[in-house]
Amino acid sequence: MEAPEDKLINLAEFTVNLAIKVGADEAEAFIYNESSIAVNIERGQITRSFSIQDCGVGVRVVSNKALGFAYTNIIGDKTAVEKTIKQAVKIAQVSKPDEEWRGLPIKKPYTSAASPFDDEIARLSSNELVEMASVMLKAAEGRDPRVFPIEGEVRASCIFKAVANSNGICDFDRGTVIECGLATIASEKGEVSPVCFEFNLERSLSVNPEWVGSEAARLASSSLNAKKIETKNKNMKVIFAHEAIQQLFHYTLVNAVKADYAQRSQSVLKDKIGEHVASELITIYDDGLLDGGLRTWKFDGEGVPQQRTPIIERGVLQGFIYDSYTAHKEGKESTGNAFRASYIFTPSVEPTNFKIFSGRKHPEELIGEVDDGLFVYSLQGAHSSNPINGEFSVVATPAWRIKNGEISHAVRGVMLAGNVFEVIKNVSALADNERKIGSIVAPWILVENVRVVGG
Amino acid sequence: MEDVLNRIINLASQRFSVDYAEARIQRISKTYITLKERRIETAKEGFESGVAIRVLLNGAWGFASTCILTMENLKNALTEACRMAIAASRQIKTPVEIAETKAIKDKVSVKPQKNPAQIPIEEKIRDLSSIAKTILNYDSRICGCTIDYLDIVGTNYFMNSRGTYIEQDMLYVWSRVTATAGEASILTFSREEIGSTAGYEIFDINHPENIGKKTAERAINQLKAKSPRGGRYPVVLGPNVVGVFVHEAFGHLAEADLTLSGSVLMDKLGEKIASENVTIYDDGTIYGAFGSFKYDDEGVPSQRTLLVKGGVVVNLMHNLETAKKFNVEPTGNARAESFKYAPIIRMRNTFLEPRDYSFEELLEDVKFGYYLKSFRGGQANLDGTFQVGIQEAYEIIHGEIGALVRDVSISGNTLETLFKVDAVGKDFELSPGRCGKGQTAFVSDGGPHIRVREVIVGGSA
Repeated sequence: MEAPEDKLINLAEFTVNLAIKVGADEAEAFIYNESSIAVNIERGQITRSFSIQDCGVGVRVVSNKALGFAYTNIIGDKTAVEKTIKQAVKIAQVSKPDEEWRGLPIKKPYTSAASPFDDEIARLSSNELVEMASVMLKAAEGRDPRVFPIEGEVRASCIFKAVANSNGICDFDRGTVIECGLATIASEKGEVSPVCFEFNLERSLSVNPEWVGSEAARLASSSLNAKKIETKNKNMKVIFAHEAIQQLFHYTLVNAVKADYAQRSQSVLKDKIGEHVASELITIYDDGLLDGGLRTWKFDGEGVPQQRTPIIERGVLQGFIYDSYTAHKEGKESTGNAFRASYIFTPSVEPTNFKIFSGRKHPEELIGEVDDGLFVYSLQGAHSSNPINGEFSVVATPAWRIKNGEISHAVRGVMLAGNVFEVIKNVSALADNERKIGSIVAPWILVENVRVVGG
Repeated sequence: MEDVLNRIINLASQRFSVDYAEARIQRISKTYITLKERRIETAKEGFESGVAIRVLLNGAWGFASTCILTMENLKNALTEACRMAIAASRQIKTPVEIAETKAIKDKVSVKPQKNPAQIPIEEKIRDLSSIAKTILNYDSRICGCTIDYLDIVGTNYFMNSRGTYIEQDMLYVWSRVTATAGEASILTFSREEIGSTAGYEIFDINHPENIGKKTAERAINQLKAKSPRGGRYPVVLGPNVVGVFVHEAFGHLAEADLTLSGSVLMDKLGEKIASENVTIYDDGTIYGAFGSFKYDDEGVPSQRTLLVKGGVVVNLMHNLETAKKFNVEPTGNARAESFKYAPIIRMRNTFLEPRDYSFEELLEDVKFGYYLKSFRGGQANLDGTFQVGIQEAYEIIHGEIGALVRDVSISGNTLETLFKVDAVGKDFELSPGRCGKGQTAFVSDGGPHIRVREVIVGGSA
């Protein structure tokens, strides 16, 4: 995996120049090249391995304030690239002008020199991945004979990005990612645990496959002997672990801090800057430069430098996240949140590393504060929350009952219902165990008065 | 294309002595459009091509995908796939084996009345704008709408080392419409989705204005809805909710790879797992349905697969590998999202078969319960716990539809719940959906209205 920096930058510049030549007022090219190798575990053994290479260019053009977009991955062939560029221009010409369009971003200095890139990840061979997968598998199997590793993966990826536009932006960035994940199930005397998943995802080769395997197994075996909750409807203290936080916030709170949601009156946080919207314990930053962050890059999908943006400071709403378009609408500067998962996508407002600041409490201390409550590792159905008003009604699984400050037993058939914007007001403590999950970075969070439906 | 594939497959057999090899070249064009209120946020077209090569060697699978289709690069991809298989096979305990299949030669063309590839993008934008206009003009309390549109048109060229060569056209038209409404501090959300493998004529059946009206009407009605009570209640499920229940709660458990992984259906084949009112199919042959196709991505013909007959599980959904393990015929359920993915077991059009109750008869005996008409999302776990979030629900009081309730969801254990299906309606409807299992697959699901004696309703009131 050799860095094709010049090749990608040349293609980006060629694309922008040709688009202008064939009639675009403004043009932008975004190139995304991903190479990954992966090894899969299926039902207790390594059975498959993958090598995937994909590279393409996305062209965004503006003609009379109307936008057109086209992309292709047929980039070895100049005529295919030309056809794509012309198609983007043609689409702009038949589309509707956007009176609020204020232009593509202009060049700004980058705050970080480079993104996390680890040569060791880039050099990993399939045999080395098999070795890691095998360590993970053995750690799970060695922990408890009742546990069955059903599915897992070790994947190493190397990503190159280039962006250029007709306002002088032209740059290249590269990054690496490694992931180990294992899903397990435990069974005993006819009882089957829920699928329990543990993983480790990093930008440098610092993953610990043994820990992943062992933890995935521990989760599954401790989910056995699950009991129903005796009460039908009760408000309880609930500790949400990292994954549960990610699931709960991703579909609700994260949308509410996007400028496009606020501008379109789809956010309950609209017009609330300066107001208390969360517990004073809550401070959230969108940190595009977070050290080792899964979404840490030099620039966003439009070539705008990524940055640190305060969202909530001690419970008070500070601001929203913006791309160029939504920022221009309010006479502001982009916060570097134009996200693009690959060349196929047009930029959309998304968080980089949505960081909920940790507290000072040791995880055990947090559990110790709960006389009668739940510890919720993961949620089922969070994606069916109301994305606008934040209402949720989800299954807590795997989850455990806490009694007298200690984990007592696993629970099943337990639903949690409520509103995310109430949840963030009812936070009473935060642990010190920050972790990265997707675009969210968070510790365990203790929330008071969560409606628990059992029976 | 046949020549190119032939050279690769021959090379796989002769030079690398693979047990099995398949190569799948894909050439597709996509159109995406996103409208937010009156603004066109995205109008784009994409051209993609690539190859997926998969080999079975030394009892393990190797897979390589690349988008550069020169002969030299294809040979490299094959070498890479073989190298990957050899690496994976190093610690194999039970070598992978696959079911026998017959050689097939076929060319499958789509014959849409309206081919989306021939409809200019401005016409698509016009149709979507008309949906947006209907929503925005419906009521002053509407805050906004988002309309997403996608069409995919292209061809798959598939060859394997058993003499199969299939050229198969693909065609998908899909759109999702969402609306939000607000009054005082209440915000509501509503969604409609359409999808077809027949052609752009889906918009003649589901007229843009009707889609807009339906979406807007729900968002407005939800403003006056009340919060549900949490607890165990009898429910009547609409076809759309039955679909997501059959897909999420039951269907995934019956995907043979997940069954083998320890789903609650393991060891239940041939046993009664539901009330005798329950018969479930997964059918890939329904014309125009969003989950239909003629051949799957292992070159196996799609079929109508009976999964549950009168409450008894009679079959699972298989690919070549699981079919061999269960010693049955593959069912044509192996699907890959694109050339970047290897095929895995996926559903097609999954539904519960209608019986004889009218809607009124289903409601009749319910003293207090909920009518769950339309879903927002659903998810299930192999242990048989399911959750389905609902976007449109009503109270049922003494057999009559009562007040609207907001943001309700249901949960329970799949098998317990299937036994509680005590009445099945005579109507029928399929809804399109996109299913995620590491890759996205276009599917549909549905059934008639049904009544379930008891589920957990998650409510905050």
